[in-house]
Amino acid sequence: MSIERKFQIAAYMLFIAVIFAAPVFGDEFWLNRISKYLVYGMLGVAIALTWGYAGILNLGQGLFFGLGAYMLAMSLKLSSLTSLQQGSDRPVPDFMLWNAEPGAPTELCCINKGSFLWLPFQSQSVGLVLGIVLPVVIAGALGMLVFRKRISGVFVSIITLALVLLVRLVMVDAQPVTNGFNGLTDLGWLTIGGIEFDPYSRATYYLCAACLSLTLIGARLIVETRAGMILQAIRDDHVRARYLGFDVSLYQVFFFVISAGIAGVAGMLYVVVAEFASPTFMDLSFSVTMVVWAAVGGRSSLLGACIGAILINMIEAEVSETEALVEAWKAIIGLIFVLVVLFMPRGLGGVAHDVLRWFVRRRKLGKAFPALPQQSEAL
Amino acid sequence: MSAIALTIDGLSVDFGGFRAVNNVSITVFDGELRVLLGANGAGKTTLMDLVSGKTHSTQGKVFVYDTDITNWPEHRIARAGIGRKFQIPSVFRDLTVRQNLQVANCRNPSVLANLRFGFSRAEASRVDDVLALTGLEAEHGMMAAYLSHGQTQWLELGMLIVQDPKVVLLDEPTAGMTQAETRKTAQIINNLKGRHTILVVEHDMGFVREIAERITVLHLGEVLAEGSVEDIERNPKVREAYLGSKGIS
Ligand SMILES: Nc1ncnc2c1ncn2[C@@H]1O[C@H](COP(=O)(O)OP(=O)(O)O)[C@@H](O)[C@H]1O
Ligand SMILES: [Mg+2]
Repeated sequence: MSIERKFQIAAYMLFIAVIFAAPVFGDEFWLNRISKYLVYGMLGVAIALTWGYAGILNLGQGLFFGLGAYMLAMSLKLSSLTSLQQGSDRPVPDFMLWNAEPGAPTELCCINKGSFLWLPFQSQSVGLVLGIVLPVVIAGALGMLVFRKRISGVFVSIITLALVLLVRLVMVDAQPVTNGFNGLTDLGWLTIGGIEFDPYSRATYYLCAACLSLTLIGARLIVETRAGMILQAIRDDHVRARYLGFDVSLYQVFFFVISAGIAGVAGMLYVVVAEFASPTFMDLSFSVTMVVWAAVGGRSSLLGACIGAILINMIEAEVSETEALVEAWKAIIGLIFVLVVLFMPRGLGGVAHDVLRWFVRRRKLGKAFPALPQQSEAL
Repeated sequence: MSAIALTIDGLSVDFGGFRAVNNVSITVFDGELRVLLGANGAGKTTLMDLVSGKTHSTQGKVFVYDTDITNWPEHRIARAGIGRKFQIPSVFRDLTVRQNLQVANCRNPSVLANLRFGFSRAEASRVDDVLALTGLEAEHGMMAAYLSHGQTQWLELGMLIVQDPKVVLLDEPTAGMTQAETRKTAQIINNLKGRHTILVVEHDMGFVREIAERITVLHLGEVLAEGSVEDIERNPKVREAYLGSKGIS
């Protein structure tokens, strides 16, 4: 095993150890905040997977995040106390009553035209399953359409961007079913196998940490497979790959779907931690922000993109403590992005890689000339 | 007579009224090395585009052995046994030289079949053999982007060898090469001879003499002549149309 390889594995292990040790260092509010950042870290990984490894810049990743979030939020909404107190035996979301036609029955089936869509969500498992299945199915369908037609580069970005805006519009417009701009608030807690995930508990934090760790390891393993290597080959030259017999679009769809699945899970976790789902998840700015995290962290480094997401958010939280800097933050992050693109296009991950190589080369030199005293001392 | 590996039958393509390839028929036998000669713009690259599926023909048919591959999608033509080297060398720039060859070494093209790690000993030794054959052993861990022009060409040739297609299309494999590089390329191609059926576009007559058995001359999208090196060099139509201006070098 090469030194670089060992270092990589060590970096992953160290990162995972740190996030699992973090609860020792802060109170529950801090923990809740860090949980959110871990979720953002998952988004960083999802972006790096498609952007860095497949060359597909998805400017609408918020779509998959938002769909995952809404699916679970619907289930959690129905398990909230308020939904149970609307005067029916079975839960009904409060916002549906506020806008109900006079005389409409207080039942999910028929309080308004679309409310029946909520019926399956009385089971939390349905929300949990759909939170990953729906993003995956939509990504699959979209991918088939886009990649089969050999659309690539900036056009994919534009299509994904347009789609997230479209879905956002629909979500806001379907107010009776989605509560429009206000999103879904006042949610119950996720309960799996008797464990209640109080958003301020360590259990919830560990859930996020575990999901992020699994995502990182899983994504890393999958890009290490032959399929991952072929995907990178396709990124470099899809024509060449085609002439080697690979059905390029299938590889692109496959990894696009995985990325969407990760974003869907991230969306669900965010709902558990933040206790709301909102159409802002599908704002263009959020999807672009994810790309900035990945760019700063290093789009071709899964761990780098993940750390980029977490670091930027930690810095942002620090900065927003200072009144004067709150307004300036957008400008600061924009500036960081421009500087990174100009001066370190491979981001923090790329810098770490270069530094490591430099050390490795020095060590090799040291080994090659062991007789030179200054050099061995320097090591 | 041995089997026919590649049949091009009355192939034409129409680019909005302009016939870049017009009613071309060529048969190449199993294990043969055929050189495609012709001035710039004669339609040699376009013919390869038609055979390999990059461009759709408007008329005619292409067969690999008995399989009709006319206008199939590129990856299916590749799987049917046609490999191609481009005029502008194309390799996977951000992968290492070894990885480039490994990608070509994934015989099963499906995604799920490739969800596994590493390569068997036989597969690895195949890659090593090709590294040796193309003289890229020292560069095996280097990013393909950092190879010289000649090395990039050899890497692409190496990928073809690993891919092991029945029919190999080579579009100007020595373009832009020094004499020494050209000689080495001829060696590599001669090494392929017999094991693969090869159709190669080439300008360098010295190189052609070194590798060719039969030559097909293309002129203005049509087949002008076909024969041995001597036949072609003596053919008055060829001299007039193509060689006359420059003479055979
Ligand atoms: N896609 C295309 N559309 C229009 N004309 C084309 C196209 N591709 C090639 N041609 C024309 O076809 C002719 C043959 O080109 P090409 O096959 O590249 O020649 P060669 O490889 O023999 O030098 C040229 O005149 C070229 O301009
Ligand atoms: Mg050409």
